[in-house]
Amino acid sequence: MSTTAFPNRARVDALAKVRGEAKFAADLVLPRTLYAMTVPATIAKGSLSSLPVEAALRVPGVVRVLTPEDFPAPPPYSEDGPPPPPTLETIIAYRGQPVALVIAETLEAAIEGAEVIRPTYVAEAFACVMESAGAQRQPADEVAFGDAPAALSGAAATVESTYDSPTQHHNPLELIATVAVWEDGALLIHESTQASSLVKGAVAGALRLDPARVHVRGATMGGSFGQKAVQRQTALVARAAILTGRPVKLVQPRAQIFHTATYRARTRHQIRIGADADGKIVGVQHHVEQEQSPNGYFAVSEYHRDVIRMYGIRNYLGTGADIRLDRQDSGYMRGTHPQPAFFAFESAIDELAHKTNRDPVEFRLANDTRVDPQNGHPLSSRFLNECLREGARRFGWSRRSPVPGSMTASDGSLVGWGMACGIYQSATTPAIATLRIDARGHTRFAISGHEMGQGMRTAIASVLIQDLDIDPERLEIALGDTRAAPQHMTAGSWGTNSVVPAAMQAAQRMRAAVADLLDGRQVSGNLHRKLASIRRPFLQVEVTTVGPGQDQAALETLRQGGFAVAEAVYPEFSTFSYSAHFLEVRIEPRTRRIRVPRVVSIADCGRVISPRTAHSQVYGGVIWGLSHALREATEIDPRYGGYLNEDLADYVVPVNADIGEIEIGLIDQPDPLANPAGVKGLGQVSMVGISAAVANAVFHATGRRIRELPIRIEHLL
Amino acid sequence: MCNDPDVAPEIPDNQLLVSRRDAMIASVAVVAASHFAASARAQTGPRQAALPVSVDQALIIRTSINGQTLEIRIDARTSLLDLLRERLALTGAKKGCDHGQCGACTVHIDGRRVASCLTLAGKVDGREVLTIEGLAGGDTLHPMQQAFIDHDALQCGYCTPGQIMAAVACVAEGNATSRERIREYMSGNICRCGAYVGIVAAIEDAAAKMGRG
Ligand code: FES
Ligand code: FES
Repeated sequence: MSTTAFPNRARVDALAKVRGEAKFAADLVLPRTLYAMTVPATIAKGSLSSLPVEAALRVPGVVRVLTPEDFPAPPPYSEDGPPPPPTLETIIAYRGQPVALVIAETLEAAIEGAEVIRPTYVAEAFACVMESAGAQRQPADEVAFGDAPAALSGAAATVESTYDSPTQHHNPLELIATVAVWEDGALLIHESTQASSLVKGAVAGALRLDPARVHVRGATMGGSFGQKAVQRQTALVARAAILTGRPVKLVQPRAQIFHTATYRARTRHQIRIGADADGKIVGVQHHVEQEQSPNGYFAVSEYHRDVIRMYGIRNYLGTGADIRLDRQDSGYMRGTHPQPAFFAFESAIDELAHKTNRDPVEFRLANDTRVDPQNGHPLSSRFLNECLREGARRFGWSRRSPVPGSMTASDGSLVGWGMACGIYQSATTPAIATLRIDARGHTRFAISGHEMGQGMRTAIASVLIQDLDIDPERLEIALGDTRAAPQHMTAGSWGTNSVVPAAMQAAQRMRAAVADLLDGRQVSGNLHRKLASIRRPFLQVEVTTVGPGQDQAALETLRQGGFAVAEAVYPEFSTFSYSAHFLEVRIEPRTRRIRVPRVVSIADCGRVISPRTAHSQVYGGVIWGLSHALREATEIDPRYGGYLNEDLADYVVPVNADIGEIEIGLIDQPDPLANPAGVKGLGQVSMVGISAAVANAVFHATGRRIRELPIRIEHLL
Repeated sequence: MCNDPDVAPEIPDNQLLVSRRDAMIASVAVVAASHFAASARAQTGPRQAALPVSVDQALIIRTSINGQTLEIRIDARTSLLDLLRERLALTGAKKGCDHGQCGACTVHIDGRRVASCLTLAGKVDGREVLTIEGLAGGDTLHPMQQAFIDHDALQCGYCTPGQIMAAVACVAEGNATSRERIREYMSGNICRCGAYVGIVAAIEDAAAKMGRG
């Protein structure tokens, strides 16, 4: 466990990024590249009745049009995991599903070719919103301990409310892009993905290729937030490269991405919560319903996992249901399950604190827990109360007047001070890494992981530069490349805490190997010079690490490119990250416009390995939370299926002028059990709870409790 | 059509590294306009198809990009962004929306910031284009680039070239005089990662160094 704080170093890839030299997937410019463009279905459900391509083939520059006939039949069902996304099919399952792929010498020709294709369809009745007639409701597994209904019937005070969180699309700024090259019987895919191994498996499965001949190089990613896992487009582009023998590039237009990529499911949370006369929570009942595709696997029961562990809750009854709709699959999006669940839960806590006349900070401090409420195991570290106290101090919470509507600014704006907490599981994946240092000054560290801006590369570099006397300018960190190291999906805030311990162990082993080699001889200079002077061209070490409770089987799954996550409820303890957010809203008296001039957000993510990138991650998380509270929602068209606000003008995300002052604090106390580095996850916990803090502040400003996101002017008129 | 001046010289098919392609493109771009056609033609055996547009859809433009003069035959439908990225391998400017909504493609034309995705390439005939690749003086970063590193004004870096080009213009316009003003005049550039706090701090810092704060 690292006992000292890490220094504040610059982001290692910042130089390339400010010079415009960082290579994102679409930046790959290869000779003879062909450009692809998809043709999206214009019905929500049914089948293709004709797909005439002649008009497209007459467009100068179009070389080929791929249709369902150009693809092998889907692979047979397998126990090993979800099937690869379908390729081109005649059955239409959702509006916007690709039905053809136009390949052309230029982008302009590909776009024109795609536009002149007018398929015809046999349409069927469909259900695309939770309220649609024909939407199928399917109950989910229960999550329960103690006896919540009995405890609540004996509570001194209870509140019960329903909270709504909308459908949202990730909208990373980078469009989904794939470049596929087919050469000597092998496929090289260059794609923006946080799951290069899964992409490899999916493409090999869909196109019936030997996985040994499919390589995926995860490019520098222009953000992802859970979107860029396995995309339907990859196998289409790969097939085009195979059939034409030329590199093929597809940069999917944003309007199409809305319909093909995953999204955050809309959810509705009914919460009943009660406290005893001392202000201790006695029980929680939480029912969640979410929208879901016909065969979607996104588990509804996971909305409970983090809620259970936020406070010392002794009785919990979690239920839920999927509402099956004719849409594409929903999926993980930053903050995933806790994000909407904590808008609901932390709003309910605020309602209960208000009803029992308690300060919301004091109420939370008094409901602390040292053990995992579900199984009684210890929490490996929990500095939530430290986050609360530090946040309250920095924000000046003690100056808050508790009565709603009692604070106003000199311009007449209503002022509201609100707060809320967040939690996110700190899961772990196994890692297999190689570290190679050579006598000419170069160091290469290869491991499973994907850099999407969160700063994983910088965290690894921090460790290696701190622990090894190497040339930092020539340190190469290979991530996301299925040829460099076995790859695991990077998501769920398990990235840094899975790779940093491996980097530390590799550095340690390297130092031992060098000492062995020198065998007591005194050789001056850094490690490169030492190797040179003893005439060793290079030295390489390999390390493997696993999460708590994992063994060789997890490493084997990783080698196979599978999913090997140790969830944070580990066999002997549980590990979660925590956050506490404090913010001020101002509501203009006439327009009722809501502004957030300042935020203080404190997080407990264990040991901070890269302070600078960690701070940036929390800034981003706060802004995502504000966006969830006040801006973004996907509008679904109940008449025709599909999405109405499918671009960045109508899908509103915060711009610079929407953001005020944000102050970040990190507790920086190592976790003693989760891993030798003492690191816990940060990317998502920084966002969880912010939207509730906004709603709580709006209540404090106005006395109005808004239980539906995003909060808009019309809610306050 | 194989003798079209815009045809790329032959490169081995298996060339996956961008560096040589970049070098090739750079060499195309620096050729003085009057020598351009002859020089390209001298490299035999083009493997890329010629620009597949009919004569009435094509036009020849002469422009300066990052200080280098260039004459090139283009598809009249091509946006400046696609010309830079797909024909000239200047991939610093990014495509985030292709609709003028995000700012990722921001470049300067005659010193003013524009969304290159909304600018037809034909419109830069006779004008000077500056992209992120031309901002630094060799190895010496522009103060704005350095300030973006110092304030970690980025995460994924996808919006960054556009943010920096917009920021340089924002200072030059005299719109970097306060944090509020910077926020307002930088609101055409979306950062989905949420690096706004660092971006504002970087612009304040660089504006002071650029002497136009
Ligand atoms: S790509 Fe030009 S503004 Fe978004
Ligand atoms: S740094 Fe990722 S969009 Fe701005």
